[in-house]
Amino acid sequence: MKNIGYFLREAGKIIRYNHVSNIFSLLGTGLILFLLGLVVALWGVSSQLVGMLQQEAEISAYFSSQLEDPQDIINNIQLIDGVWNVRYVGAEEARARMENILGDESYVLDLFEKNPFEPYLEIRIHLDQIDSVLQTIKNLKGIDYVRDNREVLEQIKGVARALEILGYLVIAAVSVTTLVIISHMIRQGIFHNRDQIKTLRLLGAPDSFIGFPFVLVGFLLTFGGGLLAAVLITILINRGYGQLGGTLPFIPLPSRDRLLLGLITLLLSGSAALGILGSLFGLSSINKENHG
Amino acid sequence: MIKARNVSLVYRDGTVALQNINLNLHQGGLFYVIGPSGSGKTSLMKLLMGMEFPATGFLEVMGQPIHKRETAKIRKLRRDIGPVFQEFKLILGRTAIENVIMGMRFLDIPLQKARESAKNALVRVGLEHKAFTLVDKLSYGEAQRVAIARAVARKPALILADEPTGNLDHDNAVKILKLLESFKDKSTTVMITTHATHLIDECRSATLIHVKKGEISIERGGEQI
Repeated sequence: MKNIGYFLREAGKIIRYNHVSNIFSLLGTGLILFLLGLVVALWGVSSQLVGMLQQEAEISAYFSSQLEDPQDIINNIQLIDGVWNVRYVGAEEARARMENILGDESYVLDLFEKNPFEPYLEIRIHLDQIDSVLQTIKNLKGIDYVRDNREVLEQIKGVARALEILGYLVIAAVSVTTLVIISHMIRQGIFHNRDQIKTLRLLGAPDSFIGFPFVLVGFLLTFGGGLLAAVLITILINRGYGQLGGTLPFIPLPSRDRLLLGLITLLLSGSAALGILGSLFGLSSINKENHG
Repeated sequence: MIKARNVSLVYRDGTVALQNINLNLHQGGLFYVIGPSGSGKTSLMKLLMGMEFPATGFLEVMGQPIHKRETAKIRKLRRDIGPVFQEFKLILGRTAIENVIMGMRFLDIPLQKARESAKNALVRVGLEHKAFTLVDKLSYGEAQRVAIARAVARKPALILADEPTGNLDHDNAVKILKLLESFKDKSTTVMITTHATHLIDECRSATLIHVKKGEISIERGGEQI
């Protein structure tokens, strides 16, 4: 601890020595970390959407018109693994729902002499068990037809999965790029200070003493980039929520505060860890250069 | 303090710098390593500092076997050595006192005490008035004295000075040698290399280590040992 002032002064000196490169490193790191934050935010929103849709996943089962009381079928369906709710929707309710959907155009339903809708069962299921549930219900005696919206759900799942993969790729890309940038900056710093490093070694200074200012430089540059990214992502999310909340109210956005807290924590802790790691990679070159 | 048995030093290009060196030097002595330029004086210093390793033989400095090439232990050993390099190796862009303190920052010495030792060392070499001057702005002789202050401030067991009289005139060279000799005491060994043998004629208390074409002979009180 007695040398903390010295280490900070050394770190400042190393940064000042090559300040233009270091400023660009900070900005570059900030921007790629911002990109990471953006992808993680999209990933979070899409995961929330998929989660909600999974909870809302339902299929409609139509039964034979000869069936007088569907209660037996309802009881049987409720016992199927993967089904969490079954509700009977009568013909009148089905018509009322359609009128609701059609709105001003609902008069077309008056053209029918009789109610064209049939009663059906609205079955809420766990999406990951959709295949087995569908098969079981189709095989039930008295069931004529089962309608599912699997294609839409699968597409949404696919988008979410693609965002997840993109997220992983961006995390990998950001990590590698940051490590390369920081370790390169540290190597440059080591090169500029090679005489001082050599002298300190000859005086008996341990590598931890020699290397700490460089670790501090890596940490400060990357953490600075992380702070910049956190500020940008906060501005973007605050504006984005303001606009999306007004124009696309049906998109189920996660809590803004929770999303921001998670993103800021990720960006700051991730940048700090990457900075230290990048510095250590850079420092490993000292040992290769000189045995003493 | 220093034990060498049949030590040879061969550089990567095949140059034999030292061959079959045998030494047994006690603590608290004053040693002059003398010989013409290129005879192997600096090579001997490099061996003692662990900057080079023996190609053959056994070399021990203050209990640390150098020939085993244990770099971490050699680094620790260097903390007990006060080196004065031929080219000084001061850290540019720092003041004289910062350079002196730098040699103690990583030692188990409180910062306040390190500052006091640095100040005392600069007083001892006559540079207290230049303590806060950047070393870049010091004259050759002043820079050399800062290097000496850095070496002695941390109270090492062994002071190794490599050609400290290098580019100095006669009077200043003698002053520097006298200054270095003054640090010798029971617990501090001083070893100085120089090619200027005429400067040390008066110093009969010293042990002379003659180096010639990589081989050595030792003389004490005017007698060959």
